Amino acid sequence: MTSKAAEAERIAGNPLLEGLMTYAPLPGIADEMVSPDGSIRPAWQKLLSALGRMDETELANRFARADRYLRDAGVFYRAYGKDAGGERAWPLSHIPVVIDQAEWENLSRGLIQRVELLEMIAADIYGPARLVSEGLLPAQLIGTNPEYLRPVVGVAPAGGHFLHFCSFEVGRGPDGNWWVLSDRTEAPSGAGFALENRVATARAFSDVYAETHVHRLAGFFGAFRDALLAGRQFEDDRIAVLSPGPANETYFEHAYIARYLGFMLLEGEDLTVVNGRVMVRTVAGLKHVSVLWRRLDASFADPLELNHQSQLGTPGIVEALRAGSVRIVNALGSGILETRALLAFTPTISRHLTGEDLQLPSIATWWCGQQAERDHVAANIENMVIGPAYSTRPFFDDNGRSVLGSTLRENAKLPIADWLSNDGARLVGQEAVTLSTTPAYVDGRLVPRPMSLRVFAARTRDGWQIMPGGFARISSGSDVSAITMQEGGSAADVWIVSDRPVDRTSLLPADEAFTRNLPGSLPSRAADNLFWLGRYIERAEGALRILRAWHGRFAEYADPDQPLLKDVSDYLKQLDVDTAEPVPSTLLASIDSAVFSASNIRDRFSPDGWLALADLAKTARRFHDSIQPGDDATRAMTVLLRKLAGFAGLVHENMYRFTGWRFLSVGRYLERGLHMTRLLRHLSGEDAPDGALDMLLEIGDSVMTHRRRYNVATARLTVTDLLALDPLNPRSVLYQLNEIKTEIEQLPNAYSNGQMSPFYREAMRLHAGLAVMTPEGMTPEAYRHFETELEKLSDILGETYLS
Amino acid sequence: MLYDINLRIEYDYDFPVSGGRHMVRVLPRSIAGRQRLIAGSVGIRPQPVERTGVIDFFENQATLILFRNAHDRLEIDMQARVQVDATNDQPDFSPQIGELSREIAACWSLAPASPHHFTGHSPRLPDCSEISDYALSVAAPGMTVREIASALCTRIHSDFTYDVDATTVDTTPQEAFRLKRGVCQDFVHVMIVALRSLGIPAGYVSGFLRTIPPAGKERLEGADAMHAWVRLWCGPTNGWVELDPTNDMPAGTDHIVVGYGRDYADVAPVIGIVKSYGQQQTKQAVDVVPVRQPA
Repeated sequence: MTSKAAEAERIAGNPLLEGLMTYAPLPGIADEMVSPDGSIRPAWQKLLSALGRMDETELANRFARADRYLRDAGVFYRAYGKDAGGERAWPLSHIPVVIDQAEWENLSRGLIQRVELLEMIAADIYGPARLVSEGLLPAQLIGTNPEYLRPVVGVAPAGGHFLHFCSFEVGRGPDGNWWVLSDRTEAPSGAGFALENRVATARAFSDVYAETHVHRLAGFFGAFRDALLAGRQFEDDRIAVLSPGPANETYFEHAYIARYLGFMLLEGEDLTVVNGRVMVRTVAGLKHVSVLWRRLDASFADPLELNHQSQLGTPGIVEALRAGSVRIVNALGSGILETRALLAFTPTISRHLTGEDLQLPSIATWWCGQQAERDHVAANIENMVIGPAYSTRPFFDDNGRSVLGSTLRENAKLPIADWLSNDGARLVGQEAVTLSTTPAYVDGRLVPRPMSLRVFAARTRDGWQIMPGGFARISSGSDVSAITMQEGGSAADVWIVSDRPVDRTSLLPADEAFTRNLPGSLPSRAADNLFWLGRYIERAEGALRILRAWHGRFAEYADPDQPLLKDVSDYLKQLDVDTAEPVPSTLLASIDSAVFSASNIRDRFSPDGWLALADLAKTARRFHDSIQPGDDATRAMTVLLRKLAGFAGLVHENMYRFTGWRFLSVGRYLERGLHMTRLLRHLSGEDAPDGALDMLLEIGDSVMTHRRRYNVATARLTVTDLLALDPLNPRSVLYQLNEIKTEIEQLPNAYSNGQMSPFYREAMRLHAGLAVMTPEGMTPEAYRHFETELEKLSDILGETYLS
Repeated sequence: MLYDINLRIEYDYDFPVSGGRHMVRVLPRSIAGRQRLIAGSVGIRPQPVERTGVIDFFENQATLILFRNAHDRLEIDMQARVQVDATNDQPDFSPQIGELSREIAACWSLAPASPHHFTGHSPRLPDCSEISDYALSVAAPGMTVREIASALCTRIHSDFTYDVDATTVDTTPQEAFRLKRGVCQDFVHVMIVALRSLGIPAGYVSGFLRTIPPAGKERLEGADAMHAWVRLWCGPTNGWVELDPTNDMPAGTDHIVVGYGRDYADVAPVIGIVKSYGQQQTKQAVDVVPVRQPA
């Protein structure tokens, strides 16, 4: 065989290589991988030759590795619209976008110039408004702009800057040059997803990644974290990521960023304003917060002075801003810079304010509120996209509110010119641009797909830095409009490749002095969620144990009216658990409540713990529809108990032993104590049916221990001794009280001014009360007393720490 | 005219509220050449733990108060002495609608009195096609902005019935328009939406009315609580003009201004954020008494 034939055969056997051979950029459109002369761009060559050596199976394995990582890390986004509320798997496009460092540096310089200009514009709009009085910016564009926040006009931001973290949507036009499509200054998202895309893609191509000089992302985040730390007023001030909460589209990222940078993750109701200072409610009382990285839309931040309808904000935030006591990243009101019509004015403003032209052009934009511009748009309507002037999103990502001028002629009711002059002030025309394509792996081959790039800029102590990488959005079709995830688009990593080895900083600076920071104070809301997570998990376990014992016996007697079965059914009925359902809805509800509590504090969990919990919920739901009473149910309960123990084990092994852990534990002990107290009252009485004591021991997981310790048949007193009063049995009531007391000692403010807190005192009293009891004394009345006292303890805990 | 003004606002909560933060805008403002606040005070009970005075964007005086302790009652007492000067009736120099938009565009300013804050919609006032049709039916070709506004004021006054039970503080202008009933807030909101739909910048004025009319004149509607009327921009020469659609009259020496804003949300006498479970009852009492001046 000639070498040419061998090569042809090798290619024929490898669809990917075939795909490479047939990969053809679309006519008249720039491509990231293939330069206009048809050659592969140098930055891509290492990746491509590596891809060429892989067959389909290997590639599939590699992609699966990346997907598994994303799944395990729990990366998701939330879909809005018809299937609203659902968490969606992260749609990674596995082939990264590769960009040469020299080109990137050019782009970065342009973006830094741009973000500095935006800062000046913000300072002017919220300050002297000279751009308006000198005619560079139409007053109307600001005065009627929903992002213009009047209550912060004239309020200088603490630290002097409006902008700290911004992103830009950029695209490459047909001539190969980059254009800015939109500025994101309000609360830009995507930086955390860029990090996760990076980890996942590096998993798929670990070998290629290692030998290609790809710039790392950690240094960028480290520099920004340091800048935020430097922005605190006092060293023990808190820094927090302020999130709208788990219902938000990008909540995963809020939690991820907070965990990655070591900041608190807070919601509006965690905060209060006292004497002009922002404070977080923690279990140790109110603590100062002096830097807020805001992921909440500005108008929602303060229901008192901004949007009165907001349920997400903190009344008094604007007051704190006037007092200059809190740095908000980015300043409230910064969102006005995203206004699409502003793009029409930035080139002139740049020349006016700095004497320089923008190095990086914006997409050509005309605001139709002015006669000359309106005429231009009308005359060139075929090459325009017409969209809302006040939109803060790029034209391809605004839920279809922008339309191609060419489609307007056919559908328009009014002549275009009339429409533009009636409604002009609310409209902009933008040049209809095509974006460059980049290879995506579709059905076994590489195909060119339009992409736009989200690039991030952070203000650091040494000025603005551009993240060397970013977040590429890739269309699901050949059309730019399918670029958003809601429209099926996907996301890819961006590799900035140097021809020399790159700095491999990780987030932990090795050369700085080592300090061991204790975690910051626990927000009360997080403590509340942890406490209830503990209670729900234990509530589920308690029900599972009873149900397993019940179905085991039901398999034997096959008669639900057998006295013991009937008795226990009646008991469960009091807890709203119906034994007619093999996997009762109440059990599912407890597990769902546990998942809900956990979802509110996702930043405090390892992804493993979260997955274990999600798996438990999924399995229980599946069982609910399929399990039969008796043996089948017994086995199902065993599976669920094992999964539950798996979650508990992960938490037990991995969770840092600090305040959060204590609330989770107290929740579990309290619920377990309640469960056992109630059960003993019901099943250990004189009139309990035959077999009740053995069932109690089984539910309390103490059959073997009982046999070893007492050497007699089960009797009321021995069972009571073991399950109520034995301090060494981890299922006994006394054991729970002992542990609660130990945890409480470690909680903040267990003592104040040398006095026990009411909560601590109550727990001590309850513990002592039970410790001195004898088995004979454990009458139904005694159990009822301890049950009431345990419930009271839960209430006092709530009053002391959780409100 | 010299007035002594007393305002009392009371809130009764069914269940004690555990705390609360409020913004209170009840003190008359000083307006050069029009009115002057000679003395004024705002008393709050219970005693708030924090109290701050601020001047808002539209230059109204506001008081921010914070309660931390439980209370089931909140009382706000405002007392002021205000000098109101008669304004000379200006001749109508306002342009026609077509010209007005050019005059607005020529106004390169974001100052609080700039017309640009008062076009388009505002938090409480979205577009409403029914009201814009109504406005178009009043505006005839050739009318000046001032003439249109007066016609609208008269029209609303005759089409609408003053009725304190028909609407609430949260009624939208569209609802009020369909009812053709309401209080000063509703009259004003409808008129603002109508003016803006024609391209005329318009805003909300909150304030007080003289309680007892001068001898031989009728008592005005809206005098027993805080009142509201409309201001509109009539071009650079006439500037802002204030009309009271509830009483179909220009705001004169019987009208005392507390606040200017785009709509009610900007000048509500009390905006409050409280955590509570039950309902609340509100009472308002106003007394605006002319002070006899030595001749």
